[in-house]
Amino acid sequence: MSNPPTGNFRRLVRQTLTIARRDFVATVFTPTFLLFLFTPVIMLSFGLIGGVGASSMASGSIEKERMVAIVAVAQQPAMRAADERLRRLFAKDDRPPLLVLQAPGGNPAAEAHHAFAADGADASAALYGDLAHPTILYGGQGGRDATYLAELAETTLRAGGQGNDRLSTATLTPISRTAPSATGHNQAAFFTVFGIFFLTLLLAGQAVGTMAEERNNKVVEILAAAVPLEAVFLGKLLGMFGSALLFVAFWGTLVSQAGALMPANMAHALGEIGPATGLPLFALLFVAYFTMSYMLLGAVFLGIGAQATTPRELQMLSLPITVLQMVIFGIAIRAASRPDSWIAVAAEIFPFSSPYAMAARAANSPAIWPHVAALAWQLLWVAICIAVGARAFRRGVLQSGSARINWKGLVGR
Amino acid sequence: MTDTLAISATGLIKKFGDRRVVDGVDIAVPTGMIYGVLGPNGAGKTTTLRMLLGIIEPDGGTRTLLGHDRPRDASDEVGYLPEERGLYPAMRAKDAIAFMGALRGLDLKTGRKRAVALLEANGLGSAVDTKIRKLSKGMAQLVQLIGSVVHEPELLVLDEPFSGLDPVNQERLEALIVAQRDRGATILFSTHVMAHAERLCDRLAIIAGGKCRFEGTVADARGMLPMQAHYIPQQDDESLAALLPAGARHQHGAWHFAVPPEGPEGVLKTLISAGHGISGLSIERPGLHDAFVRIVGPDALKDDENSARETLENGR
Repeated sequence: MSNPPTGNFRRLVRQTLTIARRDFVATVFTPTFLLFLFTPVIMLSFGLIGGVGASSMASGSIEKERMVAIVAVAQQPAMRAADERLRRLFAKDDRPPLLVLQAPGGNPAAEAHHAFAADGADASAALYGDLAHPTILYGGQGGRDATYLAELAETTLRAGGQGNDRLSTATLTPISRTAPSATGHNQAAFFTVFGIFFLTLLLAGQAVGTMAEERNNKVVEILAAAVPLEAVFLGKLLGMFGSALLFVAFWGTLVSQAGALMPANMAHALGEIGPATGLPLFALLFVAYFTMSYMLLGAVFLGIGAQATTPRELQMLSLPITVLQMVIFGIAIRAASRPDSWIAVAAEIFPFSSPYAMAARAANSPAIWPHVAALAWQLLWVAICIAVGARAFRRGVLQSGSARINWKGLVGR
Repeated sequence: MTDTLAISATGLIKKFGDRRVVDGVDIAVPTGMIYGVLGPNGAGKTTTLRMLLGIIEPDGGTRTLLGHDRPRDASDEVGYLPEERGLYPAMRAKDAIAFMGALRGLDLKTGRKRAVALLEANGLGSAVDTKIRKLSKGMAQLVQLIGSVVHEPELLVLDEPFSGLDPVNQERLEALIVAQRDRGATILFSTHVMAHAERLCDRLAIIAGGKCRFEGTVADARGMLPMQAHYIPQQDDESLAALLPAGARHQHGAWHFAVPPEGPEGVLKTLISAGHGISGLSIERPGLHDAFVRIVGPDALKDDENSARETLENGR
């Protein structure tokens, strides 16, 4: 009386998709999904507000900072000129504080000390005495400025004998690369690993509570009676992945258009970054590895979350997974920066770091075949994770004595 | 034999830890019948049904469902209402029903059409587009029941279907069950409320302590006990007890006793001769409730009564 295997497989696919569709609709067509969709905006807004606040605080204190040089009036023009020359070597945000030149009075040492106690401005460092043997005082954060003043004294003395005129005038010419550099590959690898990690961390966590929802609603019994548990798990994972893809598509479209709005120099700098496999293939591999990463982590989240009975248990279960994911991210980043090292190979083989590490490999190396093998390997582990999760659920929650993994349930009978 | 049986199970065993919750249960449900599984709380009814449906695997024994050794292979032909009712609260009633049908192979469009028709036929036409969370418990339960029949299954398994329903909805549910049988479906339902079983079941099994204590028709079960006489004397006193068959008891002004196998005439003649007279007399076949108590024992009755009291106290 058994149905033919094809019929069973078709039915299994249909049942899986029914569950996936329900979960997708239940997730996406809700007001909370809009809130979730704009999570990055909220995160960025908070980041921006915090950043602007911190930046204004930092710039406010930088504006108030001063370096003080108590030198003879005759030496002051040479020192100011030297300061102007040295300052050009620093990036705008990295320049030392403003230099204040001061003629010495009766007690230069006391005047230097007094600079630190003056109202309205903070002295980070103060120089006094003969420029050949100056004494430089500096506060807790002023070590770098003290070194700068020492160098300034040296430059002033050297320039003194030669006059203030500039002896060399350089010509600065920008160039464009025809292909991304090795550093560009490396940076692409970093951004890829970070991107997949960020998206997976943000999106896969949703899977943790989905089986708990079924248990709270008591729908699980209806599902378990009609559909193999493996198909329930896979259906839920696909439903959640559908909403994750929607999220990625939305933000991917926005980010892809952001290039047009970028300042020319930033766009030029980003042009240096590029994957070794070429952009079209790399984009496909990125999607494939994001899928695998989501499925792998989602399956683990789903399986563990299915064991939880309360939201508190859910939170407690999610934390160790997130910590583990951070560790995996760290390993994958290290693997990305050392493409042929043993750690890179280990990260590529270990199933949970494999999507990150292989995406980094796609950025660093043009070879294609390892990706075919890696995707098959990761897919196998997705199936293992789903099967183990279903098995644990069958045993722990449904209290069924048979905890055999239903491989046939996944591929038809 | 299996051609005429919708469900056949032999020696089903299920253990939770060291405890045998189901201990060698045999069940044979003929096709096209309403079959009741009766038993006190904790008897193993739900576990038996879950094993028959393949939700959990038995630790021993065999079962076939609609001729399939693997119950899952018959899942498209089965409808199931679990003891713990469950629906997605954000779904509309017709979508919830269509979803349940889709799990059993019915396409969503047909499922929605049938859902609307079934809801209207069962007096829930106004709830078609209402979200489950806004329905009363009884209405949600009917929606779920409709969801279990929307794909017109060959076999309908209902676990305690009447619990939580008011009398009007209980009557609707009884009608729905009969209608399913009339269209050719086999219905297997569990209950510990005898009245429903007595009215509906063509055959029944009584389970207690994980074992099947009885299998047969309602009449067979009732026939296990002698006829009961309820006698009100004109002159009632202590001496009357000695004239009645052993086991007679006095309650609410009447004497209740089992009619002897040779008939009631002898006892009545003695009572009249002794001057006690007859003020009232009725002789009845015992109900399923009495048969159930006799079969499973008085301890089970206590469980049953406690459960009924809890049910009333909880307002279910």
